[in-house]
Amino acid sequence: MPAHATVIAVNRYSHAVWRRNVLVWRRLMWPSLTTNVLDPLIFLFAFGYGLGAVLDQVGGMDYLSFVVPGMMCYAAMFAASFESTISTYARFSLQHTWDAILATPVTLTELMLGEMSWAATKGAFSACCVIVVGLIWGGVPYLPGVLLALPVLALGAVCFASCGLVATAHAKTWDIFAYFFTFWVTPMFVFSGTFFEVTRFPWFVQAIAWALPMTHLISVVRPLTAGATLDPWIALGHLGYVAALAVAAFTLARYRFGRRLFD
Amino acid sequence: MEGAAAKTPVIEVEALEKRYGAVHAVRGVSFAILPGTCVGLLGPNGAGKTTTMRMIMGLTHVTAGRLRLFGEAPRDLGRGLRERVGLVPQEDNLDPDLSVRQNLEVYGRYFGIEAGQVALRVPKLLDFMQLAERGAAKVMQLSGGMKRRLIIARALISNPELVILDEPTTGLDPQARVMIWRRLLDLKRDGKTLLLTTHYMEEAQRLCDRIIIIDGGKVLDEGTPQQLIDRHVRGHVLEVAKPLPDGFVEDGLERNDIGDAVLYYASDPAEVTRRLPRDATYLHRAANLEDVFLRLTGHSLRQGG
Repeated sequence: MPAHATVIAVNRYSHAVWRRNVLVWRRLMWPSLTTNVLDPLIFLFAFGYGLGAVLDQVGGMDYLSFVVPGMMCYAAMFAASFESTISTYARFSLQHTWDAILATPVTLTELMLGEMSWAATKGAFSACCVIVVGLIWGGVPYLPGVLLALPVLALGAVCFASCGLVATAHAKTWDIFAYFFTFWVTPMFVFSGTFFEVTRFPWFVQAIAWALPMTHLISVVRPLTAGATLDPWIALGHLGYVAALAVAAFTLARYRFGRRLFD
Repeated sequence: MEGAAAKTPVIEVEALEKRYGAVHAVRGVSFAILPGTCVGLLGPNGAGKTTTMRMIMGLTHVTAGRLRLFGEAPRDLGRGLRERVGLVPQEDNLDPDLSVRQNLEVYGRYFGIEAGQVALRVPKLLDFMQLAERGAAKVMQLSGGMKRRLIIARALISNPELVILDEPTTGLDPQARVMIWRRLLDLKRDGKTLLLTTHYMEEAQRLCDRIIIIDGGKVLDEGTPQQLIDRHVRGHVLEVAKPLPDGFVEDGLERNDIGDAVLYYASDPAEVTRRLPRDATYLHRAANLEDVFLRLTGHSLRQGG
């Protein structure tokens, strides 16, 4: 499993949580694969064919090369966000899986790291599926760049998973996830440069776009897969933002869950 | 030294308190549980039983008071202490998508137990809880009684010294209940310490060496079942329906008005019967733990009860 590369095996306790989720996923693999993999592939197909036919060049590259890295990031973002919200909340609130785990030597931080790394794993896995299709389809002109993009995508997935946990930590009912998808996932889908360059939007949309981690992720992944020039310092700046947001989000989620569970 | 060490209580709580915002769920509970004993925590719904257990397990923070496990103060319940405790929660929190065996294997990993060790323990535990033939079954396919048995087996995966059981047999049929009682007595014979909550007085009377009755977040009394019966309901209960017969003098009798009848407690039934008119009808039976419980916690229905 290529996703193994992204596992943050902090210790064997968080790894035990991660493995529990892998085990359940293997038993329910097909519906899960459908949402996480087929979904972005449908988008890729539709936009690749539909828009690719009208658009000649975007950002100095053919449209397929432009949209494939965007879809990689989108796949990572959507899968990690879904897993760390809807699925994690089901384990937390519906199945009481968290209660069962917290009665063992696993600490809350380890449990959350296990959940987060699993959501990130699913994100990275979905991105890998898009990469495979992109390679076959010809949307990845620069092969070594893809290898470099993998850890970048994994970091992005970690960030999206951590942000999802913040929503889950605040969720009292399922309703909050409707807001999460409308105000967080959808803007990243449309404003972060997945299908168009961010510069096409008016300045205030651009300002919002640059606050979203997805925009920074795409800014690094796209030049890598296209083999375009990428200033390492600028890349580091983008990745630093994503990493900082991941740490901040995880810390906030940990604080919220701690208050909620133990106080 | 060995004798002194053996007497260190497994659980020791002193003036334990828990507040959830404005709700004062536990208001100064104190007790000590000695190794190898089975202690029952009895109380109506909302008495603070589950909260007390959750504090002992480190699943909720202690607001005030002192808590010691195995003689140590658990700071957020350190890993070393948690490995020695197994919890059977009230609700079913098994993994519904996994098989019976996988539920145990996955749980073993949370305790950091080697895969080889777990593989050795799983068949033994399935055997112990009479689930050996259901190892491959999905949890979703199990009956309520089987799920309970699996939850108990799961709590034993780390071979804990202390097992905490929150209403282990609620909602089970008599056969399943008796089976679980036998297993719990087996565990006690193995030297494990048990702390359980229950609504079934028969269960408490059969299993528990000591009983702690709590209500309103406070300990009302504790002792062996017999001590509690002697202390509060004296051995015999005579129930006289209302209206009470003419010429019946109640003075000096221990009584408890339950609405449409009055219960009288006596060490000798004649204490009551000789005061009753010859033709009066009454119900006479041996006092049990249920009488103690109702006497101490009252007869009115509780929220959720």
